[in-house]
Amino acid sequence: MSPAGCPHVSSFKVDNWKQNLRVIYQCFVWSGSAETRKRKAKSCICHMCGAHLNRLHSCLYCVFFACFAKKHIHEHAKSKRHNLAIDLLYGGIYCFMCQDYIYDKDMEQIAKEEQRKAWKMQGMPHYTLDGIPHPRCPPTGTGEKYSTWEPTKRELELLRHNPKRRRITSNCTIGLRGLINLGNTCFMNCIVQALTHTPLLRDFFLSDRHKCEMQSNSCLVCEMSQLFQEFYSGHRSPHIPFRLLHLVWTHARHLAGYEQQDAHEFLIAALDVLHRHCKDDNGKKANNPNHCNCIIDQIFTGGLQSDVTCQVCHGVSTTIDPFWDISLDLPGSSTPFWPLSPGGDGSALNGESHATGATTLTDCLRRFTRPEHLGSSAKIKCSGCHSYQESTKQLTMKKLPIVACFHLKRFEHSAKLRRKITTYVSFPLELDMTPFMASSKESRMNGQYQLAVDPFNNDNKYSLFAVVNHQGTLESGHYTTFIRQHKDQWFKCDDAIITKASIKDVLDSEG
Amino acid sequence: MSKESRMKATVNQKLTEMGERERLKELLRAKLTECGWKDQMKAHCKEVIKEKGLEQITVEDLVVEVTPKGRALVPDSVKKELLHRIRTFLSQHGT
Repeated sequence: MSPAGCPHVSSFKVDNWKQNLRVIYQCFVWSGSAETRKRKAKSCICHMCGAHLNRLHSCLYCVFFACFAKKHIHEHAKSKRHNLAIDLLYGGIYCFMCQDYIYDKDMEQIAKEEQRKAWKMQGMPHYTLDGIPHPRCPPTGTGEKYSTWEPTKRELELLRHNPKRRRITSNCTIGLRGLINLGNTCFMNCIVQALTHTPLLRDFFLSDRHKCEMQSNSCLVCEMSQLFQEFYSGHRSPHIPFRLLHLVWTHARHLAGYEQQDAHEFLIAALDVLHRHCKDDNGKKANNPNHCNCIIDQIFTGGLQSDVTCQVCHGVSTTIDPFWDISLDLPGSSTPFWPLSPGGDGSALNGESHATGATTLTDCLRRFTRPEHLGSSAKIKCSGCHSYQESTKQLTMKKLPIVACFHLKRFEHSAKLRRKITTYVSFPLELDMTPFMASSKESRMNGQYQLAVDPFNNDNKYSLFAVVNHQGTLESGHYTTFIRQHKDQWFKCDDAIITKASIKDVLDSEG
Repeated sequence: MSKESRMKATVNQKLTEMGERERLKELLRAKLTECGWKDQMKAHCKEVIKEKGLEQITVEDLVVEVTPKGRALVPDSVKKELLHRIRTFLSQHGT
C-alpha cells in the first residue's frame, strides 16, 4: 500500500476536510481533554447495535458509528455510498472500495499530530495503583509517546552504503570492553564500567540525545558519549581512557594526581560534572538544582526526607534533600550499629536469611532509616513550642531514583584511626525499598502495622546490575566491578581484563 | 441489550471518561512487550504475509489470522493483573 492513498480519497479531500478530520481524531480517536473523553464515552457506540467493543468505526462523511466486526459499518457504506471510515481504536482509514486500509500521506500527517497532542495533554505518566501519577518518568520526557523510527533520505543512503549489520544474540559481548589502568586509575575504571552498563544512560547516549553547547572541548558529557561509542563499537581490545582522565582532572581538581583515590568520590564528582554540563543542554541554565531535568537527575536523583520530631510538642519539621547515593554505615565502625533483631519486615521481604548471622543490606538500610535520638547536646529550636528541646530525627525515602547507588562506608577516617572495615555484607539480587519509604512510615504511624505487600506493585523494586568491590587496605588497594549483561549474565571487570562471572561470585563478594 | 452488555457499556464509559482506559491500554502494551508477546505476534504476522503474499494481503486477512492466536497467547499473569487494576479502579470510583 503506497502512502499516496487510493483514488477514492480525492472525493473526500474537499472544502475544509483537514479541519473536519482533525476534529474526528480529537473527539473520537485520541481524546486528550476531559471534555472530549466524556463525549467519547457517551457517543462512541454502534448506531445499529449499541455495542462498543467490536472495532468501532466512524463514517468519514456523516456522523455514524458502527461495528466493523459485525459488518454494520459496511452496510452503512453500501447504502449511503460513503466509502471512507476511520477506525476509532487506531485511527486507520478504511476504504470500502479498495476493501483495505489506505495510507494517505496528508491524512497520516494529521493523525500523527493529533496523537502527539492528545498524549501531551494526558501527560501519560507511569501507572500507579492509586491513580496518582508516578513522580518518575521515562527519559523521553513526560507525555511523549514512543513513535517508530522512519529513516530520512540521508539515513537510507547511509544504510545502503554500509551494508554490514551487527546482530545482538544472547551470548554476544558487545558493550564489554576493558579499560587500561593509567596509574592507579582503577577507581575511575570501575565506575566507568558501572556507568556504561546502566541501561538508561546507555540508551540516552547511544541515541545521541546530547546536544553540546559548550564551546571548548572540555564537555564531559561529550566525552561520555564518545566513551559509549567506543564501548559499543565491537572492538575487543581494551580502551585507553586518557581523554576522560584528563577531563576529570580538569573539572574535579581534588581527584587529580596519580595517588589512589576513592571510587565513591569519583562517582559523585563525575555525576556532578555531568549534571553541570548537561544543564547547558536544556537551555535552562537554572540555578535551582531541584528543578533540573537533565538525564543525570532523571536517572540518579532521589529525595531523602528528614523528619525532626520535637519530644515535647511532637511537632514535626520536615525537609527533603536530593541525593545521588545512599551512604550506609557498617557494623564494626566506631559509630554504634544497633544490634537489630533478625527478621522484621525488611529482610523477610527481600528473601534474606539470617541463618549465617551475616549483616544484610536491608539491615544497613533499616539502621539508616531508624529514628535517632539527638542527645541533649544537640537540642533543636522547635517552632512549635518556641524553645530548645530534645528531638528525634528520622530519615526515609521520599522519592526513589531510577538507579539507586548504595555506598557501604568501608573506609573509616575518624580522629582515632584510619582503616577499612571488611565486614561481609550480603545483598540481594532484587531489593524492595517499600519499607524504607516515607509513605510506609506514615502508614505505620497510623497504626497499620501489617504492610500489605502488593505483589503487583513494582514501583519500589530494584534489580541489581553492578557491584563495585575494593580489595586490599586503605593505603593500597584495587577496585573491580561486576556488571550484568543481558538480564542474567555477569562479568567481572578488572581494568583491562573482562571475565565471565557467576551470580554466586557476585553475591559472595564483599560489596 | 442484555444486562451484561449494559454493564459492560457502563464500565467502559466510566473507564473512558476518567482516562483510565488509556492508562490501562498503555500498561497492557508495556506488559505484553515485556513478556515477549509482541515479538511473537510480529513473527506470526510475518509468516502470514509470506503465505498470502505481500501484494494481496489486506489488514482484514491479518486480523482474521492473527487474532485467535493472539488471544490465546496472552499470559495469565497479565490477565490477572489487569483484572486486578480494573477491579480496584471500579471499587474506588463506585459504579
